[in-house]
Amino acid sequence: MSSSREGAGGADGSADGPKSRGLRIFSHFGLPKTPGHQIKGDIHPAIIKLGLQFSEFKICGANARCIATLTAFKTVIQDYVTPPHNTLSRHLMTHLSPQITHLVNARPMSVTMGNAIRQLKLEISDSDIDLPEQDAKDELCQKIDNYIRDRIIIADEVIEDLAVKKIKEGDVVLTYARSSLVEKILLRAHSQNKHFSVIVIDSRPLLEGKTLLHSLTSTIPPIPCTYALLPALPSLITDADVVLLGAHSLHANGSVYSRAGTAMVAMLAKEHSVPVMLCCETYKFSETVMLDGFGKNELAPVKFSPGAPKSNSNLEVLNPLYDSTPASCITAVVTEVGLIPPTSISSIPLALGRTTL
Amino acid sequence: MDLGVATSEPLTREFLAVVIVGFGNELVPLTSNDGVEPCPKALVPVANRPMIDYVLSWIEQSGVKDVLLICPSIHRPMISHHVHSGLSTLHIDVQTYDESPESNTGTCTLLRHFANRISEDFIVLPCDFIPPPSLSLSTILNKYRTENVSDGSIATTCWFATQQPDKNLLVEDWGSIPPPVPMVWDDSTGTLLQIETAEDLDHNSDEMELRMSLLSQYPRTKLSNKYQDSHVYVCRRSILDLLQEKKHFDSFREEFIPWLCKIQYQRRKREKYGPILNPITNVLTQDVSLKHSTLRTNPKVTTKGVLHQSSDADASSPFDPESTTDSSSLRVGIVLHSTKTGYATRVNNIHSLLDMNRRMLAEATYTLPTDPQSRSLIDPKAQISSDSIIGAFTQVSERTTIKKSVVGKHCTIGKLARVTGCVLLDHCVIEDGAKVDGCILGKNTKVGAKAELTRCVTQAGYEVGPAESLKNEKLDISDWTAAPDESDEDSGEEDEDSEEDEDDSDEDDDEIE
Repeated sequence: MSSSREGAGGADGSADGPKSRGLRIFSHFGLPKTPGHQIKGDIHPAIIKLGLQFSEFKICGANARCIATLTAFKTVIQDYVTPPHNTLSRHLMTHLSPQITHLVNARPMSVTMGNAIRQLKLEISDSDIDLPEQDAKDELCQKIDNYIRDRIIIADEVIEDLAVKKIKEGDVVLTYARSSLVEKILLRAHSQNKHFSVIVIDSRPLLEGKTLLHSLTSTIPPIPCTYALLPALPSLITDADVVLLGAHSLHANGSVYSRAGTAMVAMLAKEHSVPVMLCCETYKFSETVMLDGFGKNELAPVKFSPGAPKSNSNLEVLNPLYDSTPASCITAVVTEVGLIPPTSISSIPLALGRTTL
Repeated sequence: MDLGVATSEPLTREFLAVVIVGFGNELVPLTSNDGVEPCPKALVPVANRPMIDYVLSWIEQSGVKDVLLICPSIHRPMISHHVHSGLSTLHIDVQTYDESPESNTGTCTLLRHFANRISEDFIVLPCDFIPPPSLSLSTILNKYRTENVSDGSIATTCWFATQQPDKNLLVEDWGSIPPPVPMVWDDSTGTLLQIETAEDLDHNSDEMELRMSLLSQYPRTKLSNKYQDSHVYVCRRSILDLLQEKKHFDSFREEFIPWLCKIQYQRRKREKYGPILNPITNVLTQDVSLKHSTLRTNPKVTTKGVLHQSSDADASSPFDPESTTDSSSLRVGIVLHSTKTGYATRVNNIHSLLDMNRRMLAEATYTLPTDPQSRSLIDPKAQISSDSIIGAFTQVSERTTIKKSVVGKHCTIGKLARVTGCVLLDHCVIEDGAKVDGCILGKNTKVGAKAELTRCVTQAGYEVGPAESLKNEKLDISDWTAAPDESDEDSGEEDEDSEEDEDDSDEDDDEIE
């Protein structure tokens, strides 16, 4: 997506001005940060490394970022020493705050990271004051491991079990970009010796579909795949039997926040009466309401658009990474608690016997 | 030590900078002894600042706090005094090794010796690398940090573009410039693939051999001989374990790094050394997260033409401990620096020392000192061009011309002298009417009245007699004491420098600032 500069920029001769100004229209997304920004204060080396992984997009994807953050926090917690006249349950969070800020500066926090950190804060404040320090730290690391295992890894396995039942023999599955969960579902279905084919729809700038294609065709025997870019979707949607999509987060009003282009896939599928199944773990749920993809979004760094025009021209390239899919386009959401309609995420805690998500 | 307060220092140091300081045999006679005192190579100034200062301030800017400095035991007092007297925030640990100027101890041997002091990832730096302001050590560190986690890369190197100087400017007596080394790298991932070593040249001087396994992994590579190794290496700690295995390697730059590049594409070496480079430790890795990452392709392991997937049926067991070796690439990264954004060089021979001084002068602007005492030392009738640097307390007499030169501290330059394109170290004396052109004069050099020196390098304390004319020479003290009325060609005869320095390790250093 690109837009032309408003008025005055073209008139001034200096080449430096246009580069840093950015566009007013999406300036609230924040300019993509250059990697290697100054490290403020004492940041743990594991967090410095993680920040670089995020800003260079080496670790990309809601699940990956959450697992990476929690793993790095385990290292930070183990290296943490409670200062004298202080308790772990009170001080550890203030110790972790600058580390979290460093990660947010590298790349805006994902909803999954936010939920995980909120849960971690709860666990830290619940930690028993009388425990010796090493025991308290070990207990926290164990809780982090349990969170990753229960709410991501095992949740994924349960979702796979539910979703593979929806893929019948000879089906054509359509998917968009790359979701770690959808990939696992397709590989699981394949390992159960089902014969199906996949249409992978992809779009710039990240071209994540390519890595999905690589992974699906590396199985033995390879899964028959079709690869196309988003503009080719209308011609391929008629062939699809089911659409599987992943999500970054699911909101209280049922709208899905996911990779830019997902909304288009979902809307087109609905028009052609193809069932759309959204695969999403419960820890991705967010209590906020999202009405469109412009209130909150993120821009991809310039390095992903190799065809970008030169810096002294009047054209600037913008790559929002996410968009919002309305609940009406989703047929069902597959979570580890079962298949639910997208608008009813608020009933989940009650069903699970919890008070919050 | 306050026992009541716990320090808030982080327990884990991320990097240790290891600065290797040698004798500087290529810079003789500048690094030969000044009487009985040694002149360490690390303290030879570039634009009036000891060359080791450039490296240390570069390290400080990147945020690395700990430095291990390894120097010959003879130079220890002077270097130790210099590094500890500054205002830097670095913790510098000066360690010594016993060595004489003739035997060249390679970096590998030194690292093996001091391996027990290095417990984390380390950066090897030379003392003679002058980085440009546009290249920051953080860039190289960030590339290492990113690739070490996401890819399993084992080291990152830095190469800078060199320009072969004009043949006319080379002075043969000053020694030869090291020949360019052809090197193969992959631009898109920034991976160093192959370096031609002297051994390879002996083996086959007409052709360069590239393995098919290299080309099948990296089909689009580039070959160039215009880059020079800066000797800055950011390495994983397990490389030291590898060094212990390979005891026959002596030079890090010439032997070990070319060998290390081969591990990434040669299957047998990878199988043999992979476990040493990726030891099973308790350190938490980001493997699970990387498996879930959407932009990462899980690499395949190729065995003789049959493709296997490294971790099959990924869906059911994300925790796959054995796949660590398979998925880590064990590659050596490379950061290339071109001359467009600033000139970098290693001042390890006399030509590059003079060249670097000249480049620094291009940015210098000389203004007369405002302090009245220093102002009085510089005569108003002296002509000093704006691209010169004059050190403090230097006296310049009337009608003297100084152009494009670096003059050290406490020098005395007489009347009607002409100094053009020179580098004068501290305490030099140039008497009236002398002409010095394109020379490097060591500390305390005395140039007699009306003498003419063109493109010479002198040892510290050398005295050029009045009305002498010397061209294109390296002047040692032995020349001067052997035949006081004319300059000799036999410089190696009376070696009063190297034998006596064995027993004088407690000499007080007074003039190095």
